[in-house]
Amino acid sequence: MPIVVNLDVMMARRKMSLNELSEKVGLTLSNLSILKTGKAKAIRFSTLEAICKVLDCQPADILEYREEK
Amino acid sequence: MYISTKQILKILYILSWIIFIGVCVEAGGIIFNAFFALVINPANARYFWSGADLSALYAWDKGYFFVETLMMSIVAVMRSIMFYLIVKILYDKKLNISQPFNKETGRFIFNISYLALAIGVFSGWGAKYVQWFVRQGVKMPDIQSLRLDGADVWLFMGIILFVIAQIFKRGIEIQTENELTV
Repeated sequence: MPIVVNLDVMMARRKMSLNELSEKVGLTLSNLSILKTGKAKAIRFSTLEAICKVLDCQPADILEYREEK
Repeated sequence: MYISTKQILKILYILSWIIFIGVCVEAGGIIFNAFFALVINPANARYFWSGADLSALYAWDKGYFFVETLMMSIVAVMRSIMFYLIVKILYDKKLNISQPFNKETGRFIFNISYLALAIGVFSGWGAKYVQWFVRQGVKMPDIQSLRLDGADVWLFMGIILFVIAQIFKRGIEIQTENELTV
């Protein structure tokens, strides 16, 4: 999929672990893992909002469009 | 009194087992009768499965007798396979009511629909054969005792199940998408 999820990059920048993010965002570890590994088919605005709030970033910092070769 | 889905599935499981054993016995009986009449004792054609008298057909043409009993055997075996699949899916507990749209159930409905269509085709074929034998002047028992009746019902069921299977396929896609939405 051309949409790439850069959650791991933002987490590294904020020095936050998956467990910590899961607790603060209120998402299960398995759902966060789905998002992080790029298996997710869709993301709710509420989830995106919560992640942006916790990581103090913009949606564009997490999602990126990269053309497929 | 409220009957839960779990209880209904349990009752269906028991019923399927009973029917499965019945259709297996019937399939075995028909195959054994046909084999016995063709290979060992031709007189057995008079006392075929469920009292059908196929001696006139045997006397008229052994080949047609073979074809007719083959049709009956195919239909009986496919009915057994159908109930085997039903028993299997209920035994394996693949029918998850909280998340019903899984691949196994989808494949199960597709298989059942193909089987129902095939049973319908072979039953209809066998029944048409019987009509043709009667027109040729061969005394034949009714198609009910030959277990070849209800071809149209099988075809109807097969088509309905096929349509349901197509809808189910879309349901699986939607459920997968829903599961992968975070």
